[in-house]
This record gives sequence, structure tokens and C-alpha cells, in this order.
Amino acid sequence: MEYSIRTEHLTKSFGSFLAVDHIDVSVAKGEVFGFLGANGAGKTTAIRMLCGLLAPTSGRGTVAGFDIIRESEKIRTRIGYMSQKFSLYPDLSVGQNLRLYGRLYGLGSKDLEARIREMAAFLGLEELLKRVTGSLPWGWQQRLSLACANLHRPEILFLDEPTGSVDPVSRRNFWDLIHRLSEQGTTIFITSHYMDEVEYCHRLSIMIDGRVAAMGTPRELKRDSGCATIHELFLKLVEKKPAGAAA
Amino acid sequence: MEPAVRIASLAKDHAGERALRGISLDIPDPCLFGIIGADGAGKSTLMNILATLTDADSGSVRALGRDLAEEFPAIRKDIGYMPQRFSLYQDLSVGENLDFFADIFGISGKAKADRMDHLLAFAGLQTFKNRRAGLLSGGMKQKLALACTLIHHPKLLLLDEPTVGVDPVARRDFWSMLKSLRADGITLVVSTPYMDEASLCDSLVLLHEGGILAQGPPAQLVAAYPFDLFRVEASPEARVTTLNYPGSQEPPPGFALVYPSGGSLHAAESLTASRRDGAAVTAEATSEIPGVQSEDRFRRLRSAIPQAHTVTRIEPALEDCFFALLSGRMRMGPKLPPDPAPAEAPPGGES
Amino acid sequence: MIARGRLISIARKEMRHIFRDWQTLVVVLVMPVMMMFLYGYALNADAKEIPVLIEMPSPDPETRAVADKIDASQLFAVRGVVATAADPAELFKLHNIKALIRFPPGFARDLRRPGGTRVQVLIDGSDPNLGTIIRNAAEPLLLGATLQVLGVEQPKVLDLRTLVLYNPEQSSALFFVPGLMAVILLMISALLTSVAIAREKELGTMGQLLVSPLRPLEIIVGKIIPYVFLAAVDGLLIMTVGRLAFGVKIAGNPWLLATCSLVYIFTALSIGLLISTLVKRQQHAMFAALGATMMPTVLLSGFIFPVASMPLQLQIVSHLIPATYFLEIVRGIILKGVGIHELWRPLLILSFEGMLLMAIAIRKFKVKL
Repeated sequence: MEYSIRTEHLTKSFGSFLAVDHIDVSVAKGEVFGFLGANGAGKTTAIRMLCGLLAPTSGRGTVAGFDIIRESEKIRTRIGYMSQKFSLYPDLSVGQNLRLYGRLYGLGSKDLEARIREMAAFLGLEELLKRVTGSLPWGWQQRLSLACANLHRPEILFLDEPTGSVDPVSRRNFWDLIHRLSEQGTTIFITSHYMDEVEYCHRLSIMIDGRVAAMGTPRELKRDSGCATIHELFLKLVEKKPAGAAA
Repeated sequence: MEPAVRIASLAKDHAGERALRGISLDIPDPCLFGIIGADGAGKSTLMNILATLTDADSGSVRALGRDLAEEFPAIRKDIGYMPQRFSLYQDLSVGENLDFFADIFGISGKAKADRMDHLLAFAGLQTFKNRRAGLLSGGMKQKLALACTLIHHPKLLLLDEPTVGVDPVARRDFWSMLKSLRADGITLVVSTPYMDEASLCDSLVLLHEGGILAQGPPAQLVAAYPFDLFRVEASPEARVTTLNYPGSQEPPPGFALVYPSGGSLHAAESLTASRRDGAAVTAEATSEIPGVQSEDRFRRLRSAIPQAHTVTRIEPALEDCFFALLSGRMRMGPKLPPDPAPAEAPPGGES
Repeated sequence: MIARGRLISIARKEMRHIFRDWQTLVVVLVMPVMMMFLYGYALNADAKEIPVLIEMPSPDPETRAVADKIDASQLFAVRGVVATAADPAELFKLHNIKALIRFPPGFARDLRRPGGTRVQVLIDGSDPNLGTIIRNAAEPLLLGATLQVLGVEQPKVLDLRTLVLYNPEQSSALFFVPGLMAVILLMISALLTSVAIAREKELGTMGQLLVSPLRPLEIIVGKIIPYVFLAAVDGLLIMTVGRLAFGVKIAGNPWLLATCSLVYIFTALSIGLLISTLVKRQQHAMFAALGATMMPTVLLSGFIFPVASMPLQLQIVSHLIPATYFLEIVRGIILKGVGIHELWRPLLILSFEGMLLMAIAIRKFKVKL
């Protein structure tokens, strides 16, 4: 099996506080992996380490085959990152935002224009290329944000709460795109607080207080825990955390 | 009794486009009232008008027995408004934020101390009184924001997408706080993009392109669902157990809608004529035993979705109504007749 | 109209913001002192030891004696003597001198002839101030030195005696301290208030304030109070540093100075408020405040360039700027020690401007978003 992400005992502490506590996560190429956890469970810290933005305290990890400690520069050219606070320039047009991100990732002019057309067609943004980004509805800005993160054909897309404040229809369309990208071989590493949609993931992990408390396919997780939904499982894991630290 | 809020022919242009096109709406007193709709449907515009932050172009709003446009300074004393973005002072502590809002609402002395203690306990923030608001987790920030909007005993609370970016546990806590406020007799108007939250409301309005697409209690909306709904699941042995049905792909013949829901697909069959117009729920439709598989349906779904393994008849949830309403395949009048006690209370409604 | 409790709560909250944001606080307290030292050296007009070169084709004792006298003067320092300066421009570059004094061949001989002789002074005019100083000083110095060498008594025809009033030592500190008062008070008041209000808009907290029973006047006055204090502290700081480091004493009544400063601060705050009603972001507020206060105050108020020497259009602008009137007042009190009888006119204009701007700002302050 070809892995896009692999960590071994990945740990980050801030002073005496263990933000990420020996996590082992493996994500196969082309997989849609849901990385869940409560606010402050350590998700963002873990993602920062995987993107090479933060050095781990101990443990190891590879992303796209490169070591997260020594080869973070190489990692950054092979991943795309999109967060809830879309880093788009609201006063630029859709096309200008795409061009800007393409250049930042070092795409040549010819390749860039072709790639922009390709992404615009894929995401249904063709009609909007000349529109000012800030005037678009939230759902469209989200798509544009995804397009920007995906322009340089990253092997892995990190999506940090991409669907906050998005209505069910836009959310469904967004997951549609995620699955199409996955079918094309892009690995998707996504966080969300919305437990219905995370069932669209191929596999999930649930982080509680810096540790991975559960990992598996949504169906396995539900079957093994006896919970009807991931939502139920999530609440159960968070609730029992004071007692079940060793579990 | 006069409703908490009465909106009549309210219209507003925003950035050159019609944000609200003459909507009329009553919000009963007390009530936990939900506003749902797609992005740009006019939810925030309506919220801002109710919060007296924006003036409508035409139409009128009466809130708590007063005209909103004429008497907004007086109404502001009775309204609590929690904007979409966290709007407290991040450099002030939890206690200082509460203290400040108490001061500007003219609450002082013992009344202030009591109210602050009560709200800190209500929000579960007693131990965080001296922590800077900026250092709180997302869920705690929202609870503090709610506490601040409650400081002056408002009779009408306006909450604009209060749980965005908040984890499921904190979100559940937040909604139980809203429920208990409702039980205390406060009217709450909440906009939310999450249908599981919307189903917790007493009554809902679905805005679409600045107009009202549907309104009523969640149970009533669900009851008006015009299709037979099926869940399509992949085989447990399949490598990929998550099914997807691209939005661009036409639904199989006889089906109105197919869309992913929680790893499986939901397929709405449009053949059941008795439920077409969303008139009323017929006992016949709901009494059908879930789990019965029709060979014909199965075949049709099967040929459209190769991985389909199990097809189960299920009851629609609010999210299914949302999709059906927005797709234009389900219709409801802007005003339902005054509820002549439905024959049977459909499941999945109020608790 | 204003509830005191609500006013105090706003002011207290604003104070907390100020003290929590220690980086800004440091800037607010350190910047005036830094600016004083910067201006203290940059604006130093007391020229000394200006480097010059002397061209002396015939180094006879008389010419040397004149050159020595030039070197002995406080104003000039002779960097060297050359026999011929074929390419003066090259010498300026090479020796980094500000002037070249060229004695003609046979200077001593020609001195005693009836027609006299000529001395040429080449001046580096790239710094006009320095150029003027050299030009004004060179002639009397050369003439005096030459006459002394010749042993000729200067005929007493006219005895010009100048007496400098108000700043007898011609110290530039007395000149820039009032100017800095005008600049810094304006900047602190206008910039910080406009940014503080724009910040509330940017954070969305302004919406929360508007939805409360707070009246616009309470928000405005409550937010202003802390900045009045902050500006007053800066005013005191400037006067203290001026006194201790630059020996600037207040010739007039310090209480009158304090009162006038408060009027000026009020006017400056009104400008800040007006800006904040027009912009929505902190960044825009900052640039607008800098553009509307710093530039005109430094350039057009008479701080650096005298108003009288400006073209008419700029003079009109100058008479619209509050700093112009404040400068007149501060210079009057610190330097001349004059009282209210001489200063009522600028003070009145300043108050009027403040009230006008405040009235506009309050009118424009929106109670809705």
C-alpha cells in the first residue's frame, strides 16, 4: 500500500502541555481521511507538523514520502492547504486570485492558464472568473479557495474546517468535489465539526486530548462502538475522557 | 396575543441585489425560531434588520409591541444580539467582558454581581472568569458571547449562526442552553446552516433568494415531504463503503433526487402520487413498514448505482426536506393553514 | 443626555485596552522622547567647524596669517591649503569640504594697492541653510582678518549691534520643542482615537455597542477620555525632556500652557473622530490620520518652514490647520512668556475649530451599521 501520510509516535508539547501525544496515523494515497476532534484537541497542531510548519518534539513522520523534519521545503510544494478562514484576496477577481496562487506555487504562464481553465471547469467557476471575489456567496468563495489550494496539483490536500458556515446544498456539492479529487488520486486530509458529513470520509480518526482515541472506516467505528452515528460515537468518546485516558 | 415579532412585506436591497423581497412572517412569543436557507438567501440581512442595525427599504417590523423603525432606541433595551463573528473584546477577561456589558445596560451593584454569577454558572465559565476571552476555545467563546447578550434580561434574543466552528460537544451544550432560555419564556431567533440544529427549533422559516420557501414546525415540514425516501448502502465487504452520487449526474428514472448522506445515498422516489403536492401527510404513506424493498425500485437504483447493495425505506429528516425544497421538487405555501391537529405526529419532531 | 455610569464603563474599558496593548503603549510613550532627540540633532542649526579648503598660490606671511585667523574662528575649520585648485569640483568631492576660499596670486602685494584685491569663496549650495550661513559669515570674517593683519584700524562709520530676543542663544531646542508638542499631541489624539473606533468596527464589537442602549455621545466621549489623559501625559513628557535634556524653560504661565494644550487635544480628538466616522478599517484610519495630521503639521504649520515665506495658497491652508494656532500659542508662552491678552485670538480660533469638527463628527456618527 502506498502511503501519503505516515506518522510514528508524533508528539508535540508546549512546556508541560502535551498538545499532540504520540499519534500514529497512516493515510493511503487517494484516501479521504477525516481528522476529527473537539476544539483544542490538538488537530491544528498536528496539521501544522504534517505541513512542516512546526517541528515535532519527538516522533517521526513522512508526508508525500518526505520527512517532515528534514524535508519540509519539499513537502510544501507537494501539498495544498485550505482553512476555514479562506486566504483569498476579496478585492481581487476570481481569475486574479487563481493566477496569484498559481504563481506563488511556481506554475509557468502557459501551464498556469491551462490549469486555471481546467480547475475553473472542474469547479464550475468559468462564468465567475471576472467577478470580484468578495462579492461572491460564501459557498463559491469556498470553491475558489479549493481551486487555489489545488492549482499546483498537490498530492495531498489539507482542508481545515472547510465547510463551516456553509449551507447543506453547498456542503454536499463540496463533498462531491472532494470525492472526484480523491478518484483522481489526490489524498484528502480533512477536519470538520460536522459529524454528518464526516461519514463521507473513507476513514476517520477522532482525537481526544492529543491522542487518537478511535480510527477506522465510519462503518467499522460504528459497528465496533455500537453507536448508530459518528456523532454519537464522538459524544461518547469526549464524555468518557476523564476516566478513559488509557483506553 | 401579539406575536413577539411581526414582519410585514419586508424588502431590502443589499449591494445592488434584492436581499429580501417583501417577506411577511410572525414569530410567536415565546418561541425558539430557526431561520435556515442557502448562502445569500437573506438570513443575515433579516437578522441585521431585526437587530436594528440596518433599516429596511420597505415594509415594517413590529417587535415586542413596538415599531422597529420608529422606536429602535427603546427596543434595543429588550433585544440581545449575537453576531455571526465573535464580537467580544479578546483582550479583556471573561469577567471584564460581562462587567462591561452590564455597565452599558445600566446594571450595577448587587444586581450586577448576581447576574454575572448566574450567567457564569449558566455558561459553565466560573473557573474561567479571569481568562482573556481571546484565549478561550471556540465553544467557550460562543458561550461567553451568549452570556453577554443575556446580561440585561432581553425578551428577544437574535443569534446569527452562533455555532459555526464549534465542536459537536460544545454545540450540543450550546443548544441545551438555548432550550432552557426558551423554557424561561424568552423568544429566540436563530439562523443556522446545520439542519440537525434546525430540527431542534419550535418553528422554522426557509429563506430562498430573499423570499420564504417554506415555514412551519420541523415536524410539519418533514410531514409534508412528498417522496418515498430510501437509503442506499454499499456492501459492508466493499473496499470503499462510502457511496457518492455526483450532483451533476441525473437521478435514475422514477427518482427525483439522489444525494449522499452520511456515507450512504438518499434516493427520493417521485412516484407516490398521494404525497405529490405536499398537501398533508397521508397515513398510508407513513404507515408503510420501513425496510420493505420493492424489486422494481431496487433494480432501477441498482442500474444507476453499481455499488448499491442494500436499499432501505427511511423516514425523511429535515435535511432531506431542505434538499427537496431547494431543488424545487417540493412545494409549500408561504403560509400553512392553522394546523387542524395532524392525524398523527410524525417521528423525528420536537422532543 | 449622558449617563455617567455608562460613560465611565466605556472609558474604563478603553483604558484596559490601552494598558493591555503594551506595544502600542510603549510606542506612545517612547516615540515622543525619541522624536525629540532626533529633531534635536537633525534640526540643529547651530553650525560649527565647517570644513573648508584654502587655495593659496603665494604663501606669504600675510596670506598665511589671514588663513590662520579663518581657522581660528569657531565657524570654520581649515582642512588644508593647496597651491592651485585647477578643478575645484574635484576638491569638494575629494576632501568633503563645504567651501573653498581662493586667494589670488600676489594677495599680500595687491592688498596695499589702491584698487585692493579679490578673494573668491566657492560654496557648496546643496544644503541651502549651511550655504547661507557660510555666505553671511565669510565676508565680515575675511575683512576683519585682513584688516587685522594689515594693522589697519577699521573706520567706525556704522556700529551695527544686533540683540536677539526670546531665544538669545539661538538654541534650536527652543524652536523644535513647541513644534513637537504640536505634532505629537495631534498624532496621539487623532491617530489613536480613529484607530480605536475603527478597530471596534473591524472586530464587529461596534455592532454590539450600537445594539445596546448606549447613546452615540456616550460612546464618543467615553472613548475620548482615556486619550485625553494619554495625550496630556505625552505633553508633560515632552516638557520634562525638553527641560532636562535641552534646557527649555517655560517663560510664561505653565497653567495657561496646559489649558491651551487641552483645547488643542480636544480639537485633535475631533479630527480623529471625524476620520473614524468615514473609514471602516484600522489601516485606513491610520493612513488618513497620518495624512491629515502629520504632514500638514510638520510642513505647513510653521514648525519647520515659516508661514510668511510660503506661497499664498499654502498660507491659506496653513491658516486652516489647528497646529498653526497652537504653535503660535506654545511659542508665545514658552519663548516670549506672553499671556492670554496676546493669545486670545489663536485660542479662540482653535476652540472654534475643535467644536466645529466635533459637531460634524457627532452628526456623522452612525447609530446603524
